[in-house]
Amino acid sequence: MQKTLHSESIRAALASKGWDQKKLAEAVGVSGQAVTNWMKGEDFPRPATLLKLASILSLGFEQLVCADLASQPVIAFRKKGGAKTTEEHILRARAMGAMLKPLVKYLPARQSLRTQISDTSREYDQLQATVSAVRSKLGVGQAAVLLYEHLINQFVENDAVIVPVMWGEKKRHENALHIHLPVEKVTFIYLNLDTHLEDFKFWMAHELAHVYTPDLAGKEEGEDFADAFAGALLFPKELAHQAYVAANTKRSPSGVISALHTFAKEHVISLFSVFTEVSKYAAAMGLPQLKASEQDVHAVRNSVRGELVSATLFRPLPPDPKTYIASAHSVFQSLFFTALQAMLRDRETGSGYVQQVLSVALPDAQAVYNELTR
Amino acid sequence: MTLALLDTNTYLRLAKRIRPLLGVEFGQKPYVLRVLKDVEDEVRRNRTLQFKFPWFDDEDFGAERDAAQIRLKAEERTLLDNTQSVMRGHVLSDVDRYTTGGRQPPSDTDCRVLAFGQVREAIVVTDDLGMHLLAEDFEIPIWHGWQLLAKMRTAKVVSNELVREIYRALEANDDLTRSWLEAKHTEFVRIFGPLPK
Repeated sequence: MQKTLHSESIRAALASKGWDQKKLAEAVGVSGQAVTNWMKGEDFPRPATLLKLASILSLGFEQLVCADLASQPVIAFRKKGGAKTTEEHILRARAMGAMLKPLVKYLPARQSLRTQISDTSREYDQLQATVSAVRSKLGVGQAAVLLYEHLINQFVENDAVIVPVMWGEKKRHENALHIHLPVEKVTFIYLNLDTHLEDFKFWMAHELAHVYTPDLAGKEEGEDFADAFAGALLFPKELAHQAYVAANTKRSPSGVISALHTFAKEHVISLFSVFTEVSKYAAAMGLPQLKASEQDVHAVRNSVRGELVSATLFRPLPPDPKTYIASAHSVFQSLFFTALQAMLRDRETGSGYVQQVLSVALPDAQAVYNELTR
Repeated sequence: MTLALLDTNTYLRLAKRIRPLLGVEFGQKPYVLRVLKDVEDEVRRNRTLQFKFPWFDDEDFGAERDAAQIRLKAEERTLLDNTQSVMRGHVLSDVDRYTTGGRQPPSDTDCRVLAFGQVREAIVVTDDLGMHLLAEDFEIPIWHGWQLLAKMRTAKVVSNELVREIYRALEANDDLTRSWLEAKHTEFVRIFGPLPK
């Protein structure tokens, strides 16, 4: 698509300087007709001229150039608790999306049929009907443990490419990042392996909800639906009923928590997820709530966080690049590094590209680059 | 006096052997070399670089960099931010062009270094081929590290022996880029001779 100037912001900048287009043309050193053509979207200035415009009008790229919304990467974050998303986070993630575009042609051909959820209601019965249908589609019983493999298969079937990364436990604003390229029709899902095992499945289910609801990705309602979907898919009504029955016989908060903990361990999800789903079940059925509060659950949960995914996958830590790359393929069925390797070799792309698409420190990117190009 | 701005890799390739490097005028023009604070930040952030270049932390190197720091006025900072943003936007709107032939798309920091060159009318010195393409797009003067070395040699700031020593060190560190290798038997043909057949 032909780039166009943002004529409105340019007009506003001219007005604030008391200038007209003729004066702008003189300052930039072009004809009045050239400026007219830019403002009409019929032509676009050369890079050096664009820089002159930015300097004269004191505008940045976003204000000077119209964003091509149709091709702009769609971003959704799985944030850390309490983390605030800033404009900088969004721009950084969009930049990663732009970086991923040349990689797409090295991925296998896209599927033509994908699963989409049309009813995104979070109302209890409707959401339970949705997750019940998803479990049936996966061939998983309503009370069975949903395995990682089930989720991973769904990513593969829906052209979502998992990018396992090691971003550290505390350093980043997000623990998972969803980047959808609308024109290329591919989704990249970055999963931070430096995450507690008990949370990991929830985040994967959360990301799967984004894959199933592409129209909601990047919107607040999309995040709310993804959270509700993940909890319900991993611990649906049937299980919530069983857990409620087991926990409701306990008289003390610690007894309730112990009963819920048994279910959490069996399903490899957090105690908090089980508690939340049981509480929703009780409310929907008009039953009394359990004799344990959210604070009680958090107090226990914080003392038994368990291992990080990276620690369970790789021993010793950190893994060598070969092991790390192999795990993306063998554990997550991801063709990300296969495509990256093909691109680096075919186009002779420099190592800085790896750093920018993985968003990791230069030495780590260099090690991955060396492994992929040796 | 023309300012030449070294990126991190160029500084690390030359600073240990050409002493003093920064803040000294050389050549007829004359040129003077500087580094941005971003170089300091990049090395401090990166344990591998600190391990590989332990001399970076030596007092005399630190003092030389401090003395050669560039300070910006408030209006220059706004101009720098806008220029960086236009360059980065330009890269992101066509990443494909920057992913071939040993190139990598210029990062935010790379764009800042080039923007600095534009704002201060400085020549940026880098061996990053993606930055060279971007500089070409924006008609900003840019040199490879070996071009700087050649100018310093012409100005008799460095001797033929020092050029040989720098090449030996780059080869030993597996840090000889494609453009440095080509220059060895073209620009520095009098020192190294023609490319062996």
